[in-house]
Amino acid sequence: MITLTINGLELTVEEGTTLLEAARFLGFPVPTLCHMEGLTPYGACRLCVVEIGEGVGAKLVTSCTHPVQEGLKVRTASARVVKARKMILELLLASCPQSKVIQDLASAHEVRQQRFRQEYEDCILCGLCVRMCEEQMMAKAIGFRGRGENRSIGTPFDIKSEVCRQCGGCIYVCPACSLRCTYNEPEKAICGGCANLSPPCTEKDGFDDMMCYMEPCVACEIDKNKQSEKTEATT
Amino acid sequence: MRKLSSVEELKDFRQRILEERKLQYPRPTLVVCAGTGGQASGSNDVVRVIKRYIIDRGLQAKIGLRVTGCQGFCEMDPFIVVEPGRHLYPKLKMEDIPRVIEAAVGGFVDESLIYQEPQIDRRYHNQEDIPFFKKQQRTILGYNQKLDPIRVFNYIEEGGYAAAEKILIHPDPQWIIGEVIKSELRGRGGAGFPTGKKWELARSSGNGSDQKYIVCNADEGDPGAYMDRSLLEGNPHAIIEGMLIAGFAIGATRGIIYVRSEYPLAIKHTIIALRQARDLGLLGKDILGTGIDFDIEIVRGAGAFVCGEETALIKSVEGRMGEPRQRPPYPIEKGIHGHPTCINNVETLANISVIIDRGAEAYARVGVEGNRGTKIFSLVGKIKNTGLVEVPLGIKISEVVYDIGGGAPGKAKIKAVQTGGPSGGCIPARLFDLPIDYDSLVQAGSIMGSGGMIVMDEDTCMVDVARYFMAFLKEESCGKCFTCRKGTQRMYEILDDISRGRATMKDLDLLEELAHVVKDTTMCGLGQSASNPVLSTLRYFREEYERHIKDKKCDAFVCKELVGAPCQAACPLGTEAWRYVAYIGRGEYEEAYHAIREANPFPSVCARVCHHPCEEKCRAGATGGNPVAIRALKRFVTDRIEPSVYRPEKEVWNHGEPPRVAIIGSGPAGLTAAHYLSIKGCQVTVFEAENRPGGMLSCVIPSYRLPREVIEKEIASLIDENITLKCGTALGQEISVDGLFEDGFGAVLLAIGAHKSKPLRLENENLEGVYPSIEFLKAFNVRNEHLGKGHVGVIGGGNSAIDAARMALRHQDVDSVTILYRRTRDEMPAFPEEIEAAVQEGIRIQTLVSPLRIVGEDGRVTGVECIHNELGEADDSGRRRPIPLPETEQVIALDTLIVAIGEDSGVDALTPARSSGIEITGWNTVRANPETLLTNRPGVFAAGDVWRGPNTVVEAIADGKKAASVIERFLKKEPLVQPRTPQLPRIHVEPGEAAGEEGQNGRVETPRAPADWRRRNFSEVEVALSVDEARREASRCLRCDLEFTTPGEKSEAEPETRRQTA
Repeated sequence: MITLTINGLELTVEEGTTLLEAARFLGFPVPTLCHMEGLTPYGACRLCVVEIGEGVGAKLVTSCTHPVQEGLKVRTASARVVKARKMILELLLASCPQSKVIQDLASAHEVRQQRFRQEYEDCILCGLCVRMCEEQMMAKAIGFRGRGENRSIGTPFDIKSEVCRQCGGCIYVCPACSLRCTYNEPEKAICGGCANLSPPCTEKDGFDDMMCYMEPCVACEIDKNKQSEKTEATT
Repeated sequence: MRKLSSVEELKDFRQRILEERKLQYPRPTLVVCAGTGGQASGSNDVVRVIKRYIIDRGLQAKIGLRVTGCQGFCEMDPFIVVEPGRHLYPKLKMEDIPRVIEAAVGGFVDESLIYQEPQIDRRYHNQEDIPFFKKQQRTILGYNQKLDPIRVFNYIEEGGYAAAEKILIHPDPQWIIGEVIKSELRGRGGAGFPTGKKWELARSSGNGSDQKYIVCNADEGDPGAYMDRSLLEGNPHAIIEGMLIAGFAIGATRGIIYVRSEYPLAIKHTIIALRQARDLGLLGKDILGTGIDFDIEIVRGAGAFVCGEETALIKSVEGRMGEPRQRPPYPIEKGIHGHPTCINNVETLANISVIIDRGAEAYARVGVEGNRGTKIFSLVGKIKNTGLVEVPLGIKISEVVYDIGGGAPGKAKIKAVQTGGPSGGCIPARLFDLPIDYDSLVQAGSIMGSGGMIVMDEDTCMVDVARYFMAFLKEESCGKCFTCRKGTQRMYEILDDISRGRATMKDLDLLEELAHVVKDTTMCGLGQSASNPVLSTLRYFREEYERHIKDKKCDAFVCKELVGAPCQAACPLGTEAWRYVAYIGRGEYEEAYHAIREANPFPSVCARVCHHPCEEKCRAGATGGNPVAIRALKRFVTDRIEPSVYRPEKEVWNHGEPPRVAIIGSGPAGLTAAHYLSIKGCQVTVFEAENRPGGMLSCVIPSYRLPREVIEKEIASLIDENITLKCGTALGQEISVDGLFEDGFGAVLLAIGAHKSKPLRLENENLEGVYPSIEFLKAFNVRNEHLGKGHVGVIGGGNSAIDAARMALRHQDVDSVTILYRRTRDEMPAFPEEIEAAVQEGIRIQTLVSPLRIVGEDGRVTGVECIHNELGEADDSGRRRPIPLPETEQVIALDTLIVAIGEDSGVDALTPARSSGIEITGWNTVRANPETLLTNRPGVFAAGDVWRGPNTVVEAIADGKKAASVIERFLKKEPLVQPRTPQLPRIHVEPGEAAGEEGQNGRVETPRAPADWRRRNFSEVEVALSVDEARREASRCLRCDLEFTTPGEKSEAEPETRRQTA
């Protein structure tokens, strides 16, 4: 058994437990995109970073892959962690704005701006589908190809796979391509404010046919910010 | 080859080789460097020629030949070193080789071919004395020169496998690890993890498996780095021996050399070496009968940069996609196929046999605390001596760059050095005192990396450097972890925007923020260090970024979309030099005049006295040839076109009553401002203290450079009905700033120039015959007085010193003129062509002397006492500081002494300004905002030398132009600062016929009057080009502008009607 401290709380867990499991056991929220129980930890999305160590030795590690160590001091929401997470979410929004999962995460982490050039991709290469296919469906129909900016997921040589049983597992686990945001012409990545089921957004023009459950509604938050800026400016 | 079955047999074997060799010596041996670099420079041909020559002449018994791997002095490839004298013959041509062979056979040195230092004309007979080699300590690399990599005999003869012998006699892994720990060897791959500690961990790592691996990481992928390659090519047995020892120490029986397929020669030599080692019984089962098993195989990488990262390397060895995984677990615990794996860099392993053979203590004597031993660097980039250098750790960067590397190859100063490859950082020249060790480099924001060292000079744009490395990294990132993949892409995107002038300061903040997050959150070493190029350049060269973003300028002239045509970008006025050169090529001289005149109200003046920054930056010159003679072409046009052909369209002031502007000073800055304000519809009054306009142009610049009538004509063309010129009106006497405002002037421009020479502040400076240079020049130009008598001395090295000297030479009673300068001619700030012309006219330049006191008799100067200097370290200006040599004082006899050590506006001239509440700096200049030229008093602006200090004519004109537009905005109550846009070529000029070959058609020489004629009169020295010369010269232009314009676009207004002049 190994004893460690997470955000000041002491905890004793079995050897081999990951920091993510330990943190979640204590109820500390750690966001993830590429992690799923039952699949090998992969450490690709970097959202689950936590800070370990102290002083100059302090560093960020991915909690989903890092094993617990005796006496380790972990911080799941230090300023450094939050800053990193927000930047990662901003990058995700910049690439993949139509994922509701990402929009929700960004909203929850109070990301209120997206400063990069907008792209519209439908894959964040988290690799959940690849691991699902290989580890749970025992098919290995899809995998990664290329590297760097040319990296993509697909079947070998893009030939229709003979081992794929079209189980749909890959789509089921995808954080980006399922639950697509239906907002038609997004001009910017930050959710334009799809109609929350509750007012006030439903009353706004152009959002009649939207279906979104964002809490809090980013559009309203931005609106609020603008209002307060205006009042500050006038006073 | 017979298999050796015991350690004794290996010893005997070595003994036998040594004895055999003794019989052959002494006979001279030709050593040819034939690493990949050498082969690329033709060393294979050298070897072929040598062999043929030896066979043809039957010299086999008299001379030996050794073909080695890279010896490091790649700049001089192909070269031959003749042993035993170690004479180095560099950059050989095939036809010279027989002479080298004959010299070697005859036992003498061929003086014409032997290595010599390019500038100081000194020959070096022994390779060790050459500066490039002198400061190096070639413990590892030295073997490359001593042996032929494909002959194991050579290696054994040089003491190879002695370390293996040692550990096989007393097999004790703990002792080996202890030695390596004691040696304080740190991993040479870049991170600098202590090798001994790694081995200790690897030895104790059980992991329940029976198999362990030792891996040699030869996946060297940094652009510009090739030391690992050279070691494998030049001395593969050293790596094998190192691996054998390492394997035995950690308990591994299998070794893997992971080398990239791009290194065919390294692979070939390693395969040969492995076969030889196996044949000798040094690898395989039961090595030398000791019962120890160890074998090595080669795995070829496909060239992904990330496969140099250890976890990715393991994946690649396993045959899977080369991408890293999150550590822990470390490869030491869980590596290839889950077995403990110890991965060491090539150079680390090459050090092992040295440590074991010579002992850890001897090894640890080299280097500094915590950083022991030597390190090989590949010194490349803007450096004279490109090559591999091996230096003890802790040496200063400056020693490597300047002493070994020989400094900058061209005129541009060295600005920074980039270490550690794409993931390293840039270290600026001011930190070159930094010792090269793992920790100091990290503190400076870079890394040691595998040892790439790219030198950059002022022609390197740091934004472009960061952009280049980021482009590399975004391609080479494996793409597994999100922040590395997207982070590098986004950083590249922002850097690209900056280099294209599309970014804002907010983007710069975002870039920095992103860089920090990428550093913090990525999975492997590649990502964690991917931000280094950005962060280190931002740390040391932020002003370059800001210049790109705010001013849209790339001072290194690299970022194409900010530079456009370099000639235009280099001109302070933004003159479209490419355009008028193109028109001249087409014979359309009037168009050419328009192109010049639109940007510059003083074309004829600038055609004579401009310091032509356009030519400095001309691509025809930057690419190795000679720049287009742009100034001479301008002269050609302005000589044949009347200023009256250009009639600028006057605007009507539509913001109410036309405002009145007072301009104090009628020099180039003042008149330019007056001209452009007049075009805008302002009523301008120009006040001039002297009795004629022109300022410096007419008072100071000598007529042999700029004839008076040229100035008069040009000024006359500028004065129009909106401009009133009042001569003999000086600030502080007839007028005052307050008075001008009371008189209803809306704005005042101070453009009074710098008319006061700075005094030497030496004893007897007020003697008769001692003149400040400006006073001396003015006396002649304004009052036609000849002040020079007898022997004239001029102190200073700037343009006004040369002007004064050449002027003095033309005076009636002058016998000789000597310029006294405290540094050497290379450091003189005057324009080189002026210095050259002065020398031609017979002016003596005595360098490295500083005046101590002025000697006089009866109130008149008789000489100056000087002390001799030598040059020391470089000062802040980058020039080497003169240091007086004691007891070298000497009196130089003179009849006239002219002091030309700099100018300012003078206290007297600035007092009235100060009393009107205008701030004056300690340098006797007016303080003005460089962006807006506004002084601290609203409505009062400054232009030209009065705020810049002494500067060039074209800068003054540029200031005047800027002042006009700022004053216009001021009067219209608009914001003074306007966002900048890059000046790019916009007008398409159809190219004429192309020039011939550069060889037949070099740069035209500016015609000059003969020196012995011109030195006795004041007529103009330079002569205009002929039509043929001009058109031929114009056709040499590379037309950088064509990249930015399209033929379909609307070209110049009504070209047909104006094309007659041709």
